[in-house]
Amino acid sequence: MIEWLHPGLILILGAFLIPLFKGKWRQGYLLIPPIAALIDVILMYLGVFGDIPFSTWRLPFLEYELVFGRVDRLSFIFGLIFTIAALIGTLYAVHVKSSSEHMSQYIYVGSALGVIFAGDLITLYIFWEIMALASTLIIWHGATDKAHRAGFRYIMWHIAGGIILLAGIVIYIATTGTITFNVIGWSSSSTYLPSLLIFIGFIINAAVPPLHAWLPDAYPEATATGTVFLSIFTTKTAVYVLARGFEGFDVLIWLGALMVVYPIFYAVLENDLRRVLCYSLINQVGFMLVGIGIGTALSMNGAISHAFGNILFEGLLFLCVGSVLYRTGTCKCTELGGLYKTMPLTTAFCFVGAASISAFPFFTGFVTKSMVMDAASNAHMSLLSILLLLASAGVFHHAGIKVPFFAFFAEDAHLDARDPPFNMLLSMGIAAILCIFIGVYPYALYQILPYPVDFAPYTAPHMIGQLQLLLFASLAFFVLITSGLYPPEQRKINLDSDWPFRIAGAKFMFFFEVPLMSFATWMDNGLKRIAADFTAFGEEKEERVLIGISVMLALIFLAAYLILELLYQWIFS
Amino acid sequence: MDIILAVLAILGFIGYVLLNFGAKLPRHGHGDTFLAIYGLCIVLTVVVGLFVPWHNVFWWQEPTAFYGIYGFAACVFLIYAAKGLRLWLPKEENYYEKKGGMK
Repeated sequence: MIEWLHPGLILILGAFLIPLFKGKWRQGYLLIPPIAALIDVILMYLGVFGDIPFSTWRLPFLEYELVFGRVDRLSFIFGLIFTIAALIGTLYAVHVKSSSEHMSQYIYVGSALGVIFAGDLITLYIFWEIMALASTLIIWHGATDKAHRAGFRYIMWHIAGGIILLAGIVIYIATTGTITFNVIGWSSSSTYLPSLLIFIGFIINAAVPPLHAWLPDAYPEATATGTVFLSIFTTKTAVYVLARGFEGFDVLIWLGALMVVYPIFYAVLENDLRRVLCYSLINQVGFMLVGIGIGTALSMNGAISHAFGNILFEGLLFLCVGSVLYRTGTCKCTELGGLYKTMPLTTAFCFVGAASISAFPFFTGFVTKSMVMDAASNAHMSLLSILLLLASAGVFHHAGIKVPFFAFFAEDAHLDARDPPFNMLLSMGIAAILCIFIGVYPYALYQILPYPVDFAPYTAPHMIGQLQLLLFASLAFFVLITSGLYPPEQRKINLDSDWPFRIAGAKFMFFFEVPLMSFATWMDNGLKRIAADFTAFGEEKEERVLIGISVMLALIFLAAYLILELLYQWIFS
Repeated sequence: MDIILAVLAILGFIGYVLLNFGAKLPRHGHGDTFLAIYGLCIVLTVVVGLFVPWHNVFWWQEPTAFYGIYGFAACVFLIYAAKGLRLWLPKEENYYEKKGGMK
C-alpha cells in the first residue's frame, strides 16, 4: 500500500510549472497533470491506497483536525468525472498560447477537486474560495471590456455567497462543536440558522433562480476554451456538496423544479448559443437537485449519474459551440447557419451531444435522466413529474434542436469556416465516444454509483414514451419553422434576475460619480480658498494653500484635543 | 419486441438528424425523402406504442400516445410563451451600457 496523493494537488502544483515550458514542449507538458490526476483517481478505485472508504491527509488545526482526503464512493465518482473532464478540456485548449489562462484553469480544477475530497468544512471553504477566484481569472482571460465587467459582477455574487457560507460554517462549528462535513440537515432548532446559511451559500453556486444570473451573464464572456472549463466545475461541485450535506431535503425538490422550468423560456429567447447552453446547464442542474431532494437510493443515483453524464454531453455541446466560435468568431443564431457543409465533423459531434442531452435512447442522457424521472413518479409526485416532462421537451427544443439547427443548418450564412484543429476534434471525439458508450452500456456507470442500482433503463415504456416525446416535440418545431410561424431570432439581450441589481448599482454609482463628486469638488475649492487666506507667507498661490492647510490641520487637531479634554473633565469629574 | 424497439430508437435518431437537413431544403435534392423517413418514425412510435405494456402511475398518462401529444403541446406552448415574454425581456444589446454606471 502506498501513500495517497491528492489529485487536486497534482493540478495545482502542475499549474505553476507551465510557464517553464515553451512551444511544443508546453503543449506536451500540459497533458501530463490531468493524465496523472486521472490515473491517481483510477488507482484509488483499484484500492492501491487502501479500501474505499478511507480518509487521510489529516492536519491538526487549532483544536480541530482538517481532512484533505476523504475518499468514499460519492467523492470518488465526482473525482473521476472531474479528472476526465479536466483531460478533455485541456486537450481542447492545448493550442492556447496564454500560460496564465492554463494556470487559472488548472488551479480552478484542482480547487474543485479539493472541495470534492475535503472531509471538513474549513478545508471545503478554503478550496471553495480559491475556486471562485480562479474562475474569475478564467472569465477575465476573455480579455474584452465586457469580460472584464462581467468578471467583476461574477466575483461579487461569489464573494457574497462565500461570506454567507463562511458565516454559516462558523456558527455551525460554534453550535455543534464539530467541523466534519457530513449531512448538515435541519436536525434541531439550534442548527437551523447555520444550516440555512450554508444551504444558501451552496445554492448560489448551484445557480438556483433567482440566484443564477451570474451564470449566463459571465460564463459566455470567457474564451472559447475557458467557457468549457467554467461550465463543468462550479455547478457540479455545488451538486456534490448538496448531495453530501442536504440529501433528501424537501426544499431541493421544488427549487429543482423551478430550476428545470425557469431557464427553458430564456433558452428559447436567447440569441447567443453559449448563453442558450448556460440556461440549459441551469435546467440540467435542476434535474440533479430534484434527485437529491427526493433522497431515495434511486433518485440519488439518478442525480449523481446525471451530473456525471451532464459533464460529458453538456461539455461536448460547449466544445462544439466553442469550435464554431473559434472558427467563425461568433456564436449568435442570427449570424450563423449552414455550417454543416464546412464543419461536418463538428456537426456530427454536436448531434451526439444534442441527442445525449435530449435523452435519445442509446445516448447518455437517457440512462441517467430516466432515473430521476422514475424516482419522481415512484414517489407519486404528479405535479413534479409533469413539470419534469415539460422540461424534457424544453431541453430537446433548445439544446437538441436550436443549437444544431441554427449553428449548422437554417439559412446558409456563407461563413468561411472549417473543422477546428486536431486537438479540438480529438477532445470532442473522446467526449462523444463516452456519451455513446455510457448510453449503450450503462452498467459501466451504474456499478460505480454510490448506492446499489436496481434500475433498467431500456424498457419498452421508457423507450417509446421518450421517442414519442422527442419526435412530436421536433414535429412542433418543424411545423412552426416551415410555416413561418416560428418567431425569428433577434439580436437582443434578455433581462434576467440581476436586472434590479444592475440598475440599482448603476444608480448607486451615478450618485457617487456625479452629485457626490461635484459636492466634493465644491467643498475642496472653497477650502483651498479659505486656506490660502490663512497665511501671508509664500509667493505662489499653491504654496499659500499648502501652508494654509497645514495651519488649518494644526488648529483642527488642537481644537479637537481641547474639546475631548473638556468632555473628559466634564464626564469624569 | 426488443429488436423492434432498438431499430425504432435508431430510426428515431436518424429521423431527428434528417429533420435538420430537411427542414430548410424540402424542395432540393433529398429533402422530401428525409422528411418521409422522419414522418415514418413518428407514425411508428405511435403504432408500436399501442402494443406496449405501459406501467402508468398517474391518471394523465392513460390516453393513447400521451407522450407524443404532451411533447407536441409542450413545445408549441414553450415557443408561444417565449414569444409573449418578448414583450418585456429582450432589450438592445447595449441596454446596460446606456443605463450608465455598473455597465
